[in-house]
Amino acid sequence: MKKKTQAAPQSFVTSETQEFWAAAQENKLLVKHCRSCGENHYYPRSRCPLCGSAQTEWLAATGKGTIYSFSIIPGARRPTATAIVDLDEGPRLSSVILDADVNQLKIGDGVTVAFEKMEGRPPAPAFTTAAAVAARAYSVGALKASKNFPDLAATVPDEVKIVAIIGAGTMGTGIATACLKSGLSVVLIDSNESALQKAESGVSSALERDVERGILQPELATAFKNSLTHAVSMESIRSADLVIEAVWEQLKLKQDIFGQIDKFARPNAVLCSNTSTLDIDEIAGATQRPQDVVGVHFFSPAHVMKLVEIIRGKTSTSKALATCIRFGETIGKVPVVVGNCYGFVGNRLMLTREREAARLLLEGALPVDIDTVLKRFGMPMGTFELQDMAGGIELNYRRRQETGEKNFLVDRLFELGRLGQKTQKGYYRYDPEKRGPIPDAEVTEIIEQASEHYGISRKPISDSEIEKRLILPMINEGAKLLDEGIVARPSDIDVVWQYGYGWPSWKGGPMYYADQIGVSSVLTDLTDLFARHGAPFEPSPLLSRMAKSGQTFSSL
Amino acid sequence: MTSTANAYIVGIYEHPTRRADGISTAQLHADVAYGALEDAGLSLRDIDGYFCGADAPGLGGFSMAEYIGLQNLRHIDTTETGGSSYILHVSHAAQAIAAGHCNVALITMADRPLASGAGPVLAGVDSAAAPENAFLPPVMVPPAFGYAMVARRHMYQFETTPEQLAWVKVAASHHAQYNPHAKLQQVMTVEDVLASPIVADPLRRADCCVVTDGGGAIIVARPEIAKQLKRPRVKLVGSGESMKHSNGGKNDIMYSAGVQSAAAAFAEAGVRPADIKYASLYDSFTITVIMQLEDIGFCPKGAGGRFAADGNLISGIGKLPFNTDGGGLCSNHPGNKGGMTKLLEAVRQCRGEAHPAVQVKNHDLVLAHGTGGLMSSKHMAGTAILAAE
Repeated sequence: MKKKTQAAPQSFVTSETQEFWAAAQENKLLVKHCRSCGENHYYPRSRCPLCGSAQTEWLAATGKGTIYSFSIIPGARRPTATAIVDLDEGPRLSSVILDADVNQLKIGDGVTVAFEKMEGRPPAPAFTTAAAVAARAYSVGALKASKNFPDLAATVPDEVKIVAIIGAGTMGTGIATACLKSGLSVVLIDSNESALQKAESGVSSALERDVERGILQPELATAFKNSLTHAVSMESIRSADLVIEAVWEQLKLKQDIFGQIDKFARPNAVLCSNTSTLDIDEIAGATQRPQDVVGVHFFSPAHVMKLVEIIRGKTSTSKALATCIRFGETIGKVPVVVGNCYGFVGNRLMLTREREAARLLLEGALPVDIDTVLKRFGMPMGTFELQDMAGGIELNYRRRQETGEKNFLVDRLFELGRLGQKTQKGYYRYDPEKRGPIPDAEVTEIIEQASEHYGISRKPISDSEIEKRLILPMINEGAKLLDEGIVARPSDIDVVWQYGYGWPSWKGGPMYYADQIGVSSVLTDLTDLFARHGAPFEPSPLLSRMAKSGQTFSSL
Repeated sequence: MTSTANAYIVGIYEHPTRRADGISTAQLHADVAYGALEDAGLSLRDIDGYFCGADAPGLGGFSMAEYIGLQNLRHIDTTETGGSSYILHVSHAAQAIAAGHCNVALITMADRPLASGAGPVLAGVDSAAAPENAFLPPVMVPPAFGYAMVARRHMYQFETTPEQLAWVKVAASHHAQYNPHAKLQQVMTVEDVLASPIVADPLRRADCCVVTDGGGAIIVARPEIAKQLKRPRVKLVGSGESMKHSNGGKNDIMYSAGVQSAAAAFAEAGVRPADIKYASLYDSFTITVIMQLEDIGFCPKGAGGRFAADGNLISGIGKLPFNTDGGGLCSNHPGNKGGMTKLLEAVRQCRGEAHPAVQVKNHDLVLAHGTGGLMSSKHMAGTAILAAE
């Protein structure tokens, strides 16, 4: 649906309302109190509309109220509901609820005023939910906590001025752009000259877009472009303070690259691998200086997504880790230090979700059913949309080629050239004229064939079942990560999912969400799913311990 | 208050079009005016009172009076209350006739939101300087959401269900199948309604009225004139109007202004809701009908959903057949204003001239009711009770 901003009223700030708009600038809601009849009214008028008296005065409202009724605006990019709100001070008013879990609204829910900044006029009155306010406050605390690593606090990081990036693909290009925009010099290395050319024009167009949007001065854009050099030879990494390998996700390839890095990098340079799943210790083992090797896992598109997982290898020194954290901050990212395991934190949870989503496809759901549930839950994208964007079908296919493992559905999609958005078709089809994915009958047919191939009779699956089977295993996986010591604290998982996968701040994160619905309810549902659907739902021992002792993740 | 119970509706006409490409709004007004004159057996020169809303192009009714050629006007009234305007116009015309201000009043309504591409807006209404605009939320909220919030609250407070709302559409569609001009002529089931996409949660597309071009006209005349004409006589025996707004924030939206307008009309007519044999109920959305059933007094507050789901709105089956032309939900909602078409079908029923498949047997007393504006905030209700004579 079309969303337009209201036309600016003709005489906006008048003597009758100027105090209201002044307070609005500070997100404070004023109502009018009538000294004659004792009633409060809204919107504010100089004379009381209830008794006609001119004896009115401003009353600073709490800005809090409850929902009398509401309606969700469907398909809004930013979650929006219209609502009639009963203010604690009495007046009932019509407004909107923004930046909140609008799909979970209930009549009677608490809301609080959140004036919306507007161009060329004072802020417009709007509301958000009390639950969203609490989740956002939690999110601020979680981000702060993620920076707290006592064992690294005393370490002085090395200064990073020159970064070498090996691999001029999408990821390398994105990382290069982020580095350049923060004033660092970048040496981009790839054995393929045309890949280098493509990367360079990718960097240029990203910078030019910023200039067009007015957020980057043209001279600065030119200076940034001039700080980028490229080379086909590994020798050129010599000058770099920090080297980032960003080649295809394959252990042998990465080990080979690290062998070469070891040969040419200057002593004490920090050597990073942008791996999304692989064992950082095995990569480090390909060098004579494993203590300088750290995993830095960027998220696609790397010049946009804020998260960088900093993967602490077995032998990584405090110095190398501290340097990576500082480097991440320098280029405007949110670095979160995590331990070494397959998929680390973000992808451990995501792959868990993907695996279950794949099972749901075989049992009876379609990609659009699953993605709709995830988006209504609050995710900016569904899992199949996301896979189509990030080339998930190809990644899944290639990942299995070494072991020869088969996957009827993904193999068929791959063979048909359905690689995702880049080929205009994947789990969905794409039309350049239209925004967003379009369900495709061909895919439905292949899914049905896959079900038949595996001897599964398809049946309808309810939205609530889909939601539980996708979200609860993520919480469970998070609990396992805590038990395994991969993350320092539950809130780090939430920071990873907010900044790497767009979990909305108004919903905190998977672990915060677990606390909201209750750990024991999570455990009960997982136990039930384990009985019905097997191993992927086996509750983590931590959840059982927590349920027994009544603990929450935020109190761990 | 001047009694309105002294005037007759002597002529009606509904434009058959639902999409007026290549016809001006002015010509639509003139077409329906001439249609109603022909129906009444009157001529242009007989008209000395003219009533129109903001959909009449130009200042007030000036341009339309000039375009149509109304030469003997001595009374004009351009009351604009959204969709209920024309129900108020009938009442105002009767008052003007009773007061001796005119003898024959013409009411015209016409607009072409589809052909002009204007969409769901009211022609000629400029709210830019409304004082409440400054306090509007940062996101533009279409009118459907106001009704959606009424629906959700009704569901919360009275356990009304989407299925019950759907029954309103089902009843309208049962009637629309006999109207060759209806925009939607297909009979719908509850399942059909529930399968239509959500427009403003909990309202679905099928819960909403159609958007159409077109219009209609009505001629109201004093008794002496009405008695000389050959058409079945339809007397206005009671009318009422009432406004409701947010009242500084003290407002129960589970009651519409229809409570007062209907009470006034029943008092004037000296009849009770149970005496009404047919009702034209404003049907911008299915919830609008449910609310009005309760507020007019056809059923207790909160029981509107059950009343509809029991089939009461379907002609030949239920206690209170409604909108037998298919109403705004299926047939016609010209210019996003349903008051004119509500009156037209009420007059057809009262005359015994509705489609035989939907004509109520006993049609001595019928009612037309309109809600203009937003039921969740500012709105004006108008009720008219008509008697066959």
